Amino acid sequence: MSKNYFEFSSPVKMVSGFRALEHIAFELETRGARCPMIVSDKGVVGAGLTDVVVEAVTAGGGQIGPLFDDVPPDSSIEAVEAGAGIYLQSGCDALIAVGGGSVMDTAKAINIMATEGGGDPRRFAGYNNLKHRLKPFIAIPTTAGTGSEVTAVSVIKDAAAGAKTFFYSQFLLPDVAVLDPRMTLKLPPMITAATAMDALTHAVEAYTCLAKNPLSDAYAEAATRRVAKWLVPVLENPGDEAGRLALAEAAAMAGIAFSNSPVGLVHALAHTVGAMYGVHHGAANSIFLPAVLRFNMPACREELAELLLYLAGPDVYAATPADQRAEESVSRIEALKESAHKHCGLPRTLSETGKVPREALPEVAARSLDDGTMVMNPVDVTYDDALAVLEKAWD
Amino acid sequence: MMWLISRLMQAASAIDRNIRRELSALPEGFSFSMRVRSGTPALSMRKDGGRLVAVSPASGSRPTLAFEFKHVAHAFLVLSFQESTPRAFANDRLAIDGEFTSAMKILRCLNRMQALVLPEFVARRALKSYPTISLSEKLALAARIYGRLVIELFKRVPS
Repeated sequence: MSKNYFEFSSPVKMVSGFRALEHIAFELETRGARCPMIVSDKGVVGAGLTDVVVEAVTAGGGQIGPLFDDVPPDSSIEAVEAGAGIYLQSGCDALIAVGGGSVMDTAKAINIMATEGGGDPRRFAGYNNLKHRLKPFIAIPTTAGTGSEVTAVSVIKDAAAGAKTFFYSQFLLPDVAVLDPRMTLKLPPMITAATAMDALTHAVEAYTCLAKNPLSDAYAEAATRRVAKWLVPVLENPGDEAGRLALAEAAAMAGIAFSNSPVGLVHALAHTVGAMYGVHHGAANSIFLPAVLRFNMPACREELAELLLYLAGPDVYAATPADQRAEESVSRIEALKESAHKHCGLPRTLSETGKVPREALPEVAARSLDDGTMVMNPVDVTYDDALAVLEKAWD
Repeated sequence: MMWLISRLMQAASAIDRNIRRELSALPEGFSFSMRVRSGTPALSMRKDGGRLVAVSPASGSRPTLAFEFKHVAHAFLVLSFQESTPRAFANDRLAIDGEFTSAMKILRCLNRMQALVLPEFVARRALKSYPTISLSEKLALAARIYGRLVIELFKRVPS
């Protein structure tokens, strides 16, 4: 008898599209919340995005509590403690996160402390160490890539310990994710491209790694189709609201996909060059994706062949011989990388980042082997394998 | 089963240089356990003198790293080499409590031990991929590992 088994969970309510922000007041009211604290960062506040949210909520009869905008780029335990302190002093009863992955992660950790009444957040670190529901939490992403608005994970930098503190619990999931094209309309082209390629990588790895299942596949396919269709049009016309929304939806769907079918070698390498040399996560994923797919192809040829339908559409899929579809899928991803490079200079190779010295590749390879995402890669990766992929991604 | 796995790991960590190289990056005193969520059964090991030694799961101290199966049936699948540890993770049967960097090293040690002590057709089922290793090297290492295990067994049986 087959021992196949999978789990899938996606309880976040998606509120997506035209004037989506105007639904927040209703979502708060139905959860009995009257005074939500906004968590954001200074860049998002400076761009006027929190003002748009406040206006949309208050015009709908809702109220807004204090704004906490001291979230640093990598988040921090100190930011979590400070935000939780403001929340508890102000008598807030819900959280609204407006920002990228760091803001989302910080808001999730603040929600732990807001619910537990303060103290050291580290005592809830690790896997499934929360035992009950947290305060109502609405996530409004201002980038279209991380998918943090639909993930049950929070990673917070702990400078004192020289490490990152990891929280995982289904209770960390936001109650509502609000996708409104106004939130990503002003994203610079480079960030637009890098985050879209991040979303594509989430989808493709979820589709090709060990925990893939029929439901994560459905989300990965839909996300792949949106990125393939809309990335270049949005780079050509950044004011394209329909395209912006499609990319935000792609990021959320890819987030759901990889929450239920975790990522593999691409992320292991991207995490390592990110930690060692500060290479943008989305850009690193974009650089490594084709080389890793070629390495993994013996174990996921069929899946890669199926992805061609979503990357290139039914005509190309039908016209491509079945035994060439997997290679064509990788070529299509490379073509997307080329287009992104042409439009905004998104690096195609490690050398183009200008951050990673070639002589560092052996250390990157060695460190990548210890990244937890390696477990889910469909092919076992040795040091020599990792180094060979890095060499291919170099230039 | 847990007892056998821990003793095979103990013996392999004393003999195989690949496993010892992995362990060299972990601090002395590092410990890990493999347990079932209900609490028992469990295996616990600690790094001592550059190799792993089996310790009593009931010692009370919290291990540096814990692998936890949701159910004893899930543990049996992995520990009887019917399912690989990556497949157990993928199927949400197994969770990690602790640092992933250490977990990856221990998983590589477990994989190496299985590749050495199991017949190839069994090891292929228990591993994501079977490593490149010559038959003569495998037999030599396996003989030494099983030899140590037998000595352990004699030590355990009271005279």
